[in-house]
Amino acid sequence: MLNHIHRFIFFITLITLSLSSHSIEVIEILGGKASQIPIAITPFNEEIRTMGQVTDKKNADLQKMHKVIANDLERSGLFTSLDTSGISTIPDSDILINFSNWSALQAQFLVVGKIITIQNRLITRWSLIDIYKEKTVLSMEFSGSKKQYRGIAHKISDLIYKKLTGSPGVFHTRITFVKKKSEKIYGLYVADYDGFNQRAIVNSSQPILSARWSPDGEKIAYVSFEKKKPVIYVQDLNTGKRVLVANFKGNNSAPAWSPDSKKLAIVLTYSANSQIYIINSDGSGIKQLMRTRSINTEPAWSPDGKEIFFSSDRGGNPQIYKVNVDGVSDVNRVTFEGKSNLSPSLSPDGKLLLFLTQDNGKFRVAVQNLLSNQVLKLTKGPHDESPVFSPNGHMVLFTYKDYGKTTKIGTVSINGLKVTPLRVGSEAIQESSWGPITSN
Amino acid sequence: MKIILKLQDNYDIQANLFSFVIHFGLFIFMLVSIQWQMKDVYYSEVELWDAMPMQVKSQPVANKKKSADIKKLTPKAIKKQKQLKINEDAEIKLKKKRKAEKKAKIKRVQKQALKQEKIEQLQKKLLEQEKIEQLQKKLLEQEKIKEIQKKLLEQEKLDKLKESILDQDVKKEVRIAVEADQELFAGSNTGELNKFKAMIQQKIYQNVNKQLCGLDLVELEFEIQLMPTGELLGEPKLTQSSKIESCDQALERAILQSQPLPVPKDAKLFSKLKNLKLKFSPNAYTE
Repeated sequence: MLNHIHRFIFFITLITLSLSSHSIEVIEILGGKASQIPIAITPFNEEIRTMGQVTDKKNADLQKMHKVIANDLERSGLFTSLDTSGISTIPDSDILINFSNWSALQAQFLVVGKIITIQNRLITRWSLIDIYKEKTVLSMEFSGSKKQYRGIAHKISDLIYKKLTGSPGVFHTRITFVKKKSEKIYGLYVADYDGFNQRAIVNSSQPILSARWSPDGEKIAYVSFEKKKPVIYVQDLNTGKRVLVANFKGNNSAPAWSPDSKKLAIVLTYSANSQIYIINSDGSGIKQLMRTRSINTEPAWSPDGKEIFFSSDRGGNPQIYKVNVDGVSDVNRVTFEGKSNLSPSLSPDGKLLLFLTQDNGKFRVAVQNLLSNQVLKLTKGPHDESPVFSPNGHMVLFTYKDYGKTTKIGTVSINGLKVTPLRVGSEAIQESSWGPITSN
Repeated sequence: MKIILKLQDNYDIQANLFSFVIHFGLFIFMLVSIQWQMKDVYYSEVELWDAMPMQVKSQPVANKKKSADIKKLTPKAIKKQKQLKINEDAEIKLKKKRKAEKKAKIKRVQKQALKQEKIEQLQKKLLEQEKIEQLQKKLLEQEKIKEIQKKLLEQEKLDKLKESILDQDVKKEVRIAVEADQELFAGSNTGELNKFKAMIQQKIYQNVNKQLCGLDLVELEFEIQLMPTGELLGEPKLTQSSKIESCDQALERAILQSQPLPVPKDAKLFSKLKNLKLKFSPNAYTE
């Protein structure tokens, strides 16, 4: 028996020795500190072709094309655009790249391009280059009218974003907001996501609130005081035709589209206090979600359309709760941090909850990871409002107001690193909303 | 247990074979010795037989001469002679018979004597055999005892050998560990390796962009080879993917961006860090 034990120990020793002689050191890295991809976006050299000749007269707008791309990527909070002014020779294609120059600049990626203009049309040839691997990642050509240069630049940004983050870019999407032109003139505006190309779709002498894009991008629901009380309209963006969806006794407010764009969750004060109802987008088939004595308001659908998140004072102060759409299940509280939390909305993947949190008297935009329940406050306040997710869930559009100043509109990345105001005029801006990603 | 039994079986077989060979040898020896003794006795008998025929042979020679003479005689005489001859022949035959009887008697006596002798000899041989066998048994027992003693000695030797091998292994292991320590830490403290590992970890950590890895708890593994300058030899090898392409690429970039990685100048210590496995958990709730 001893012999057996000795043999066993002998072989185990041999195996251990043989294994230990081939061991490899392991280093574990938990988490990470970096948050932005350093990217160098060079000015796109313009080549003007007129009547078969090349001239030097350059379009000032087109010279900004690379800046549009840089601003797009920076606004997401995931990229940092590097200053390329120190590079003497700027390439305009992915051929003959001096990689050492760009790696010295700490760039991980490089965007180069060239614009060829022929009368009112332009052709943009561009490439995305991986500096570490010294290879071209994307190389494309877009063409359009000169006026579309921003749209083309946004498309390029979308493609770069998709390639490097794996998520679709939202730089070619649109937003809505309400602009208070004067005490008696309110306008509902649609604009590019960065505030450019704005146009009014509704003008009213009465306030407009809670404009919301339908997920299919076809319609906008909003609250108007045209009837001397808040009522809900749905307006078709293509035809301009609008439908009065909710004009019930009391206040009609806070419309929220179902993910299939067929229904709306709305809030009525039909029976005393605010309660949530579900209604078809044509105004038919109204149904109360649940009956309680407390206030239930600001409904938001989960992306799967099965749950509705809402704010309620049933616990004393306003907090966010959720309930199944059938309204028969138990109501569960979702937010626990902060004195009060309100204005919920869900990220497209349903993993993040966006809301306003009251923190030492300030209203700040916050995001809660629904898997870990960790809360990250994205903005400083003090009077932030109407936070909504971008269609990819990577950015937030919100309105804000500094002490004693007019409200403005801006974006914040969900890592909280990049807050960018939108330049949409000096007027007070309210009630922003982000449209979906469309194929246009 | 099986091994011991097998060993014992082997020893038993060997002992049995040995005893069989000894017995067989002794048996052959006995057989040879018996034959030799019997031949000796047989020769003594032959000598006796040689004396008798000599006497008988002398008479027929004389008769032949007489028969030659008879041919020349008359018929009467011949008849008489014949009568005489017949008588003589009868006498001779009688004599021969008597002689033969005597010889037979002698033979019988001799045979009986021989038989007795043989019996005695056999008895002696049997006794001798018994003695020999007893001796053999004793010898065999002694041999067995010796064999057992040998086996015991061999086992003791084997045990000692094994123990010494084990001791050597343990000593070797200890020596390897000591050498490894010496190699690893090159005369400095044991934290030197861990210090460099921590430095590498920290440098790569600074460049990990976990935002590109979604929100789920994903894990990735890369294997890298380092040059003494801290630069990578070849590209990082992805051995476990997060299944999120942007995440895999982001972490690969984090490794590449971290070049040159902090590595020790000491060659022996560097050899331990030359090949590294990097395990990433970008969304681990540690911060």
